[in-house]
Amino acid sequence: MLDVRLSNNPVWHKCNLLAFNPSIPQSLIYCLTLIRRLLIKLSTMNVLLIEINPFIQTSTPISLGYIAAYLNANGFNTRILVIGQNTSISCAELHKLITEFQPALVGFSAYQRIMLYVKGLAGFIKKINNNIKTIIGGPQTTFMPAAAFADLDNIDYISRGSGERTMLHIARAIENNTPFSDLLGVSYKDSAGSVFDTQPLESFTDLDQYPSAYLNDVFDYSNMSEAIMLTSRGCPHNCIYCYTPNAFGHKITFHSVDRVIEEIKWISKKGVKKLWFADPNISFKPKRVIELLDRIIAEDLKMEIWMQTRADLVSTELMQKMKQAGVSTIAFGLESASEKVLEKLDKKISLDKIAEAIRLAQRQDIEVELFTIFGLPYETFEDAVKTLEFVKKNKVKIMGNTNSQQMQIYFGTHMAKHYKDYNIRPLNNDRPAYLSIGSQYETDCMKSKDMHKIQELWKANSLDGGKRIVS
Amino acid sequence: MTTIAIQKIYIILSKPDKTDFIRLSRFLQSAFYHVNMTSSLYLITENLSESMPQIREIHKEIGRFLSEHLFARLYVHYVHPVNSLDIEDVKSCYQHIKQAAVKFDQEGYMHQEMPRLMLLPVIAPENKLDNKSDNKPDNKTKPSSLKPLLEELKNSFLLSSLYLNRAASDLAQNKEIQRVTEKFYFSPDDSRKMPDILCNLFCHDILDDSLDKLTSDSLDMSEQCPASIVVSIQEGTIYKCIDAFRKKISFANIDEINDRDDFTSIYNESGESKIDCLKCRERVADSFADLPMPQDIREETGALLCHFGTLRQDNEDYSQAVEKYKKSLKLSPVEEAGHIYFRLAVCYTMTDLYDQALKAFSSCELIYNKQYYFHFYKGLCYFGKGDYNGAIEEFSDALRLKPNKEDMIRILIYKGTCFNNIGDYEQAVVALEKAGEKAGRVKEIYNALGFSYFQLKNYDKSIENLTTAVEIDPYSALDYASLGSNYREKGDFDMAIVMYEKALTLDPDMILARENLERLKKKT
Repeated sequence: MLDVRLSNNPVWHKCNLLAFNPSIPQSLIYCLTLIRRLLIKLSTMNVLLIEINPFIQTSTPISLGYIAAYLNANGFNTRILVIGQNTSISCAELHKLITEFQPALVGFSAYQRIMLYVKGLAGFIKKINNNIKTIIGGPQTTFMPAAAFADLDNIDYISRGSGERTMLHIARAIENNTPFSDLLGVSYKDSAGSVFDTQPLESFTDLDQYPSAYLNDVFDYSNMSEAIMLTSRGCPHNCIYCYTPNAFGHKITFHSVDRVIEEIKWISKKGVKKLWFADPNISFKPKRVIELLDRIIAEDLKMEIWMQTRADLVSTELMQKMKQAGVSTIAFGLESASEKVLEKLDKKISLDKIAEAIRLAQRQDIEVELFTIFGLPYETFEDAVKTLEFVKKNKVKIMGNTNSQQMQIYFGTHMAKHYKDYNIRPLNNDRPAYLSIGSQYETDCMKSKDMHKIQELWKANSLDGGKRIVS
Repeated sequence: MTTIAIQKIYIILSKPDKTDFIRLSRFLQSAFYHVNMTSSLYLITENLSESMPQIREIHKEIGRFLSEHLFARLYVHYVHPVNSLDIEDVKSCYQHIKQAAVKFDQEGYMHQEMPRLMLLPVIAPENKLDNKSDNKPDNKTKPSSLKPLLEELKNSFLLSSLYLNRAASDLAQNKEIQRVTEKFYFSPDDSRKMPDILCNLFCHDILDDSLDKLTSDSLDMSEQCPASIVVSIQEGTIYKCIDAFRKKISFANIDEINDRDDFTSIYNESGESKIDCLKCRERVADSFADLPMPQDIREETGALLCHFGTLRQDNEDYSQAVEKYKKSLKLSPVEEAGHIYFRLAVCYTMTDLYDQALKAFSSCELIYNKQYYFHFYKGLCYFGKGDYNGAIEEFSDALRLKPNKEDMIRILIYKGTCFNNIGDYEQAVVALEKAGEKAGRVKEIYNALGFSYFQLKNYDKSIENLTTAVEIDPYSALDYASLGSNYREKGDFDMAIVMYEKALTLDPDMILARENLERLKKKT
């Protein structure tokens, strides 16, 4: 066990199997989770999940939280380590942590811009104990080519898709001393260095089957200023620059409203007063989101809420409810204010519709954020300027999420597969196989210097110096 | 064993000799293992060219560390003077320095992210004119010669900062210089000694950290600043923070540290820092108050000083609070001044400096005159000055503005006491009875009412109130003596004697009670 000092370190999110509080609300979901936990044979195996991003402040690692809750519910002892800009941790501390906790499996959240750091940490851990198995998962890995293993010496597995069930298979395989048997949903490199792909692993279509990270106290609430929740996963749309539709097979799956409300009540009890709904499309089923908002209002769950949704899914009624339920900020995906570009992106939304959604929100005194990107195919410099002008004209504050960013061509997007069709020229073809094109490209309409120029223009109009960090 | 994550290492380089290289490398190997994943290294030298051999050794260690730990990031600051005569030398040094970053620049480009090694010059321009009688050339660094250097560095992705003493502070106003400068450091003195420059840089970091705290949720200013160490190569000594460095309290000698574990054990054995961090932060903010910094930083420092004022005020250290507020006023924007004046006025009130308090209150009248507590505090000032009519006016204004119940009782008691003091006992009774209705059993109200009714010769009401007062506080000698006087005036000398005796039992030194008792005993 770790000593008290480390356990109290805010970078730790402690997952202690036996530390549940019997006085918590006895909802059916929660009871079932507890019963399942108590029936399951406890494992002695430890799993460490790491999220590192030295460029942003730490936030609630909701995806790792799901995995931790799932592994814990199946008898493993899981901890989460989050390393952000505000985290204080040295090599010596990390060494102490690994030698004391002795994880048999370490999982990393992998994103394009932090791959180097993930590689570094995996190498460091393997140097301490080469028997520790390492896995990377997350948006970067679902469609990462297996050839990436050649550049990832210290990574044993690449997870493909939702991580809960994949991680359980791997953890059980490691526990049984057969680390490369009966695996699904991964690519792996065996002891001899040979690379194998396994069959995909279906995720649960009913998200309530995943134990809750919140209700199972995976997180340390003492340092949580804002909770992040995913009430749904996936997106049925076809935006060519977006990873989500392909990653979830153009399907969208949901948690029940009961489960979401139970979680909100729980975090509210723990003193968390800010809530970030990270669903790409929370209002995809308008009836469901209205029910959710009604329940928040009826239960008097006073939260400051952030949401994002498509602009064509909102109405006056919905906005009024959002306001009443505590939604302080709503974000819409504008991407571009050039009709020509929107059409090419297959965004299927008009600028009028977006302007109307903005007005609906503003009338309710809800802050609006607009996600925009430049460097889109067929977008000229003038088109990109139009986007900035649209944001200004509609009186949306240029700061935080509204600061624009260059399009990132990630693995798994339609764009990554078909970039040549859009006359996109990658600038660096020598990049490691674990990296996608990202922002290193030019289009036939915009050169690097144009991209830089438009970025500077946004920066000059920004209220916070253009501080928006891309993953 | 407790481990640490050092955020910043400050090293004063010396004139190098070969033994230094070995010590330095050994030390850095150990220290880097204990630095935070993102950390800063400040290399401070009187002469960049002369220090290049040492810097090259340091680069070797940096390269080794970063190559072995792909998750580590390092900002290296090169702090050194420059004058118009050595600008070319400095440029040439940076061409060599830049080589250390090439590998990491490529790595950053490949990974589409900021390089893990950032090289950041901190240039202290020479600004003293040499004595012309020595026939030495003028080596003052002029903007025209500084700008090309900064520009060239910027073009090589070496983002420079300037360290400016008072005489050179006007450089910060130069638009051309601003364009090519990442940050300005300001020095409160003209010292060019490396330890002094180091102290000032460290103080800037403390100021930045305090300002960060001010805007974050964590407002605990007594918290230690990010873990840092200061190293003097020449003396071979290592210090835990700038206060320890100033006081020459080192926690280790470089030669003692032979491996990573040595560092931890020696650091831990040296115990917790005995430094009073709150005072240190305060002192730093104070020292920056007079510096010619940009307006935004001046205003932020003003807010910080105001915060320190409130901390002092909360601890009832009003004189120190006054000092902080006065400094804060000089730096803060006009729209904040009213709020600071109000706090200042309250502190003056609490230290009985009523005239200064009233002057400060008048400076925030526009903002606060709709607040009952503003009039209450003003009333207190008049009360303290003995201007009871002025006080009554303010207390009446305060009551009109509907204070909360507890404050209303306080204000009514003060108001009643003012009326008592000017001899308007009927009005005093009105105010005090109202206070009594709201407050329930508060001794001070019954005591004051006893006095008012006594003066109005309504001895029965006076006795009634004073009896309640002694029920609440059976040890109040004064109230028993007052009861004695009431019975005396009513002609009930036996009861009067009983009361005076009770008063004297509780306070044998009460002269008034003794004299009255003796007079009554003679009468009876």
